[in-house]
Amino acid sequence: MGTDMRYLPLFIAAVLTGLVSLPARADFHVFACEPEWAALARTFMPDAHFTTATSYLQDPHYIEARPSLIAAMSRADIAVCTGASLEAGWLPALLQRAGNTDIQPGQPGLFFASDHAQLFAPHDHVDRSMGDVHPEGNPHVHLSPDQLPNIAKALAERLGAMRPDNSADIFARYIKWRVNWNFHRANWQERAKALQGRSLVIQHTGFSYLLRWLGIGATMDLEPKPGLPPSASHLNQLLADPRLEDAAAILIASHQNQKPAQWLSAQIRKPILVLPGTVTDDSKTDTLAELISEIINRLESAMPEVANGSL
Amino acid sequence: MLNRIVSFTALSLALLTSGAGANKLNPDVSLTLDGHYKQNDTALSHREQGFGLGHTELSLSSPIDDLFSGRLTTVFEEHDGESEVLIEEAYLQTNGLPLGLNVRAGRFLSQVGYLNGRHMHEDDFVERPAAYRALLGSHYYDTGLRINALLPTPFYWQIGAEAFNGNQLSEGAEDIGVYTLNTRVGGDFSAAQSWQAGLSYLHNRQISVDEEDHGHDHNLDDEHGHDHGHGASYTGKNLYIADAVWKWSPNGNTREQQFTLSAEYLYADDLNKFATSDDYHEGWYVSGVHQFTPQWSAGIRYGEVDLREAHGDHFHSQRLKETDVMLAWSRSHFSTLRLQYTHQSATGFSNADNTVALQYVVSLGAHGAHGY
Repeated sequence: MGTDMRYLPLFIAAVLTGLVSLPARADFHVFACEPEWAALARTFMPDAHFTTATSYLQDPHYIEARPSLIAAMSRADIAVCTGASLEAGWLPALLQRAGNTDIQPGQPGLFFASDHAQLFAPHDHVDRSMGDVHPEGNPHVHLSPDQLPNIAKALAERLGAMRPDNSADIFARYIKWRVNWNFHRANWQERAKALQGRSLVIQHTGFSYLLRWLGIGATMDLEPKPGLPPSASHLNQLLADPRLEDAAAILIASHQNQKPAQWLSAQIRKPILVLPGTVTDDSKTDTLAELISEIINRLESAMPEVANGSL
Repeated sequence: MLNRIVSFTALSLALLTSGAGANKLNPDVSLTLDGHYKQNDTALSHREQGFGLGHTELSLSSPIDDLFSGRLTTVFEEHDGESEVLIEEAYLQTNGLPLGLNVRAGRFLSQVGYLNGRHMHEDDFVERPAAYRALLGSHYYDTGLRINALLPTPFYWQIGAEAFNGNQLSEGAEDIGVYTLNTRVGGDFSAAQSWQAGLSYLHNRQISVDEEDHGHDHNLDDEHGHDHGHGASYTGKNLYIADAVWKWSPNGNTREQQFTLSAEYLYADDLNKFATSDDYHEGWYVSGVHQFTPQWSAGIRYGEVDLREAHGDHFHSQRLKETDVMLAWSRSHFSTLRLQYTHQSATGFSNADNTVALQYVVSLGAHGAHGY
């Protein structure tokens, strides 16, 4: 007992310094709606505290504004989201219930990646009979090799403006990221030559920006309408599509049910490619650049004859 | 002349280019259609036998400025051929205040319990549990003021208070007829599991223990077959509610699969001036709903309610046990068809019955984000 007492002041001092240094270590809270934006923000502010609302195993359209997310949102300094109505089913409820003064529409604390991108396929007229179509365009812009630099730059600028003391570091990390991205992009461009002109069957438009960039055709969709799950009648209709012959594989995302793809795969004897739609916890795919490299690796192995043929 | 033409062209050009943007100044309009076919009349029900319309809602909502948002929800209802338009929500609400405060003023749904603050079209069953129908008129909304605070804890913890006019629950002359206190905590057990639990207290000042009795209203419910009132048929000065919700989805991917287990317990006492400590209302329910594919869900709910119906200076005991089984199909996020079987067994209710009900709930236009 007596020996313990001797350490008491030391212990109190340790607790006090702990309390004081706690805000300093994690004094910047980033709330990322999707893991890709957490990964991007982490490259610019590695010391910040991160909460990621979704994972690669979840469909980001259908998350609930659950209590833990409300608590995290209320503590956050910035929320980094995709926008373009991707999170329309849960983000507004989250913003309202968290009531964070800094994170509201129009405030610098709410960053939408799609505000800094040119979205593909915007619609002037949208109605629900078309499925879950976003009038702003396809929101899954995080796999676009050409658009990411613009988004990254805007994010780095925003973070720098919110943390002026760190802005020089953030800018330096952005430059480093940009150089690395350009290096990767040149590599992807080279590899795209072998993939160009091929086609895939897809489920939803999650990979569309990258596939377009690679020159891979992706017009056959397992979904009858965007956002509707594959139906038997639609799959049968798809089976009659003459373009199916040319498709190299069926590409689906990790969070999607594999059954419809498996059914079609058995019918047409083409392989299924299950790829993460966003960055994962795996060190091989935990940044966007690594993820795109990995997706291209997998596409190459799914389309071997052309990859070999081009040699 | 040329000037005028130029300015006219410029004006129409400006109008043309701002076409898409101007739309955003209009409030979001959302319409909910809800209709049913019900085979038999049931006790404490707000839905008529045969074909009927349920909760037809027209809702307008929009940010007002950077500080406030507003919402209006009107409900169209029909009872015995009489049409009614009710204002269920007409409130303004802050978009974020310092200290985690959140203020709402006007008419809105009270946040007591788990189900009460939710819109009826989000429900998993055709009707609310019997305890809600008896003690809260299915959903209690009123005109008043709410102040909530989100506490700066690592987990979710909210405390809140509301003050209401009170006349939507029971008639009275008090300026502030009802006030409520509420606290809610919640979090995640893992990526796959989340939870929330709450405690609520509702104080009804318009149940005066020395108020003159309105007379003998024997068998009021039985004569009408079902309850027309929008207030609660059974009230007490104090109402306590405990609620808990647990949700599970593999990997947290609610799109593919989700299981929701929820339960609530309601207790009301101080029923009127004749009530002794043995006279109280009590009810509870447990509900399990499994959305097993993106489009299909099935659920079962069991609930009981023990009531004391006032008859002058004494009470009659009433008891209702209810089991609901339902199967629902949602073509998209905006349309649901539901088939439900309800089994009732009761003492003190002459109209308790078993019934099959078929229901549709669809939403047109803007679709607000749902809460937990």
